[in-house]
Amino acid sequence: MFKKFFIIIYVLIIQFLCTSSFALVIGSDQEEIYIDANFSGESLLVFGAFYSDPSQSRDSKSDILIEVVGPLEDVALRKKESYFGFWLNSKSILFNDIPGFYYLSSTSEISNEFLNKNQIGLLNYKRSEIDNNSLIESNLSEVKSINEQEEFYNALVRTKTSENLYKQVFDEIEIIDGNLFRSYIDIPNTVPVGEYNVNLYLIIDNQVTQKYSYNFMVTRVGIEEAIYSFSKNFPFFYGLISLIIAIIIGWSGSEIFKRFRKV
Amino acid sequence: MSIYLPIAELSVNIFLLLSLGGVVGFLSGMFGLGGGFLMTPLLIFMGIPTSIAVATSANQIVASSISGTLGHWRQGLVDFKMGGVLLIGAFFGSILGVWIFSRLVAIGQIDTVISILYFILLTGIGLSMLIESSKVIRDRIRRKSVKRKIHYHNWAHRLPFKVKFYTSKLYISVIPPILIGFVIGILSATMGIGGAFILIPAMIYFLGMPTSKVIGTSLFQIIFITALVTMLHATTTFAVDAVLAFFLIISSVIGAQVGVLAANKLRGEEIRALLAIIVLGVATKIALDLLVEPNEIFNLSVIRVMI
Repeated sequence: MFKKFFIIIYVLIIQFLCTSSFALVIGSDQEEIYIDANFSGESLLVFGAFYSDPSQSRDSKSDILIEVVGPLEDVALRKKESYFGFWLNSKSILFNDIPGFYYLSSTSEISNEFLNKNQIGLLNYKRSEIDNNSLIESNLSEVKSINEQEEFYNALVRTKTSENLYKQVFDEIEIIDGNLFRSYIDIPNTVPVGEYNVNLYLIIDNQVTQKYSYNFMVTRVGIEEAIYSFSKNFPFFYGLISLIIAIIIGWSGSEIFKRFRKV
Repeated sequence: MSIYLPIAELSVNIFLLLSLGGVVGFLSGMFGLGGGFLMTPLLIFMGIPTSIAVATSANQIVASSISGTLGHWRQGLVDFKMGGVLLIGAFFGSILGVWIFSRLVAIGQIDTVISILYFILLTGIGLSMLIESSKVIRDRIRRKSVKRKIHYHNWAHRLPFKVKFYTSKLYISVIPPILIGFVIGILSATMGIGGAFILIPAMIYFLGMPTSKVIGTSLFQIIFITALVTMLHATTTFAVDAVLAFFLIISSVIGAQVGVLAANKLRGEEIRALLAIIVLGVATKIALDLLVEPNEIFNLSVIRVMI
């Protein structure tokens, strides 16, 4: 894999040394992640090369930012409150179109101002949504005050982060030789299926100089896909087959055991 | 080594899964219980979503109760007529139960309700087993033999629609068995249990059935209740995970057979007292989860869309 990685990088560098004064070229080791019976999470490699013309400004600071946005999903977030000593679910918000997976990393610490200005990052994801209120479906929103909404949004990010589905760090991109970079992104086993968007930003002096995006898919394959789609498309027969399997195993278990007893 | 569960959408350790099925199967074989009352909460502790734990347990109980029924049927200990009458009630009860279940999922209270129900249930079972087994142990030490009444006459014999149940030598109204079946159906659909530990005492004390026929008959009708519950969950809540069920069934059927063998060789009361303590331990864990302030007071559930 490393061989492949360096060959690609090499080709990329040659390609873009001949072009403009700012450039960003990227690649990935996988275009698709397959969920099969043995799937227990995966590590996705994103790599590339960047180039900023040194003649332009000697002191300019260049950074790379990688953002991965998973398929959007609807999520109900519930808050537990104590009633008579019991911790029960009480208030809830329904979030529409929240990324099921989110990853953000950069080569060095990026200021919140920059993230705010460019609408990148987890906090901005939610803040932009709070403002226009489009994410909250009225029938499930029992949370009216802005402060409490803020609390819910923070909790959303926190719980997703604790499930390893959200991550925002500033030091996970490795730089090699000044112009090459690579980053391993952990895809946990609870990852949602669908289309993932990878955005790469080349930032020079706090300005997005170049942006490059591509997609990859997370798909179920083989038996996992067969069982899942069968259960959704033919729920009656799915239930029936589950029963038949149970009956066969239960019945043969008692038959085999009966023979053991006789011997 | 781990296996990815297609409906639960997560991967679990395969050996953990097999040993869970094996241990629950062993206990159910030893005590003649379905084991659903331990399977469901233990699956939830493992991180399986509540709805999938309940629906998949029902599927697993189909297998273990078939195994058990066949053994009793060979010895002529199944009252099919009584089983059928119980099933009429159970049929409507489980439909209501699955409806209640999906309503609770929709309003987000399913976890809490399941926890409270399990706490009540496990505390009840655990305490009664502990009291019963310690009494037997005490009586054995004092070398006393306990006499039991064989037949009870109560209100179940005075209601209308009386029917003759030849196998059980009973002539009672069909209303009590239908009502009992109804309650068991609701519990089965909402908790993923067969309900034998409620059904068996109810059949003995409310219906006055002979003890020898009770276990086979309850197992017989549990096959059908849990089969119906599996079908209802598969078609309405889409929560039956076939891969999870497969591994649980394989290991629990083997575990159950070993449990039956072990039951013949070991003294029952001590093990029953031990099981009672395990059951009370699970109940305590559930109670603590409800009573102690959680680290994270927010919880998230993804609303799954059909793809």
